[in-house]
Amino acid sequence: MTSRGTPSRFLQSVLLNGVGRYVCQLKRVSIIFSKNAQSSLGVREFIEEGVVDYAKKNPATVVYVSPQSCRIPKIVAEYLNGNVREEIVTSKTSQQISELLTKMTNQSGLDIIRIRKPFHTENPSIQGQWHPFTNRPPSIGPIRPQTQDAK
Amino acid sequence: MVFLTLSCWIRNRGPDRYWKVQEVLKHARHFRGRKSRCYSLAVRAVRRAFVYATKSRRLKQRNMRTLWITRIAAASREHGMKYPALMHNLTKSSVQLNRRVICDLAVTEPRSFLSLAKLAQARQQEGFRAALGDGKEPPGVFSRVVLLH
Repeated sequence: MTSRGTPSRFLQSVLLNGVGRYVCQLKRVSIIFSKNAQSSLGVREFIEEGVVDYAKKNPATVVYVSPQSCRIPKIVAEYLNGNVREEIVTSKTSQQISELLTKMTNQSGLDIIRIRKPFHTENPSIQGQWHPFTNRPPSIGPIRPQTQDAK
Repeated sequence: MVFLTLSCWIRNRGPDRYWKVQEVLKHARHFRGRKSRCYSLAVRAVRRAFVYATKSRRLKQRNMRTLWITRIAAASREHGMKYPALMHNLTKSSVQLNRRVICDLAVTEPRSFLSLAKLAQARQQEGFRAALGDGKEPPGVFSRVVLLH
């Protein structure tokens, strides 16, 4: 839990996403649940009512619904940069699952680790970064064309 | 002859030792020497590292503030003012910039910092005139603090 022992990154956006067009970074959502188990009750309710609306609202995301015989229902989200996030949804209500899905849709696929600074600029300095000669008067005068009297 | 007590002497140790050890060692992987490899040394080193991490969360704010103050002092000395004079006159002119922002201005925006230094200098001169003068001269421009509600 030390800052050097755990990974950290700077704040960044994926290819300046919102500046021009906004591209949803969620590529694929797979909902793995069981048809008969008690833990997947909320997931089954969500699939009955909410999944189709969600899929229509997010045309850029592919939704896979896979009923398997599994003990713990999961939602696996894959992002455009290749990161995969698995969320366990045992004993969650349909409402909670839809909130979770909206949260995952709004995330970019960047790692969820400590962000070093809450801000980031490409151009931090407008008037020019300070260097030791900024506030020193120049030692030579302005450069003028050579006068002809010397010749 | 059947040895019956031999089986009573066999102990079943816990099955999870490897993972419990790895939980500690994973926090020690970037350490130097045997405390990154040997469990008994690593336990002590990891505990100290965590203690230092907790304590330094308070220290970090203090250190950052002293860094900003050092940088502002250096920048203001370039313009012929000292740090306490600069900050006091800026607060008197109701410029509510904190040290972090003024430090960033001094680094990335040197001309804005120059204007802040000149403002503080002018306010300082007005203060001197008000204190040393007779009160017959009109008060300066920057001493009129506007109270916005």
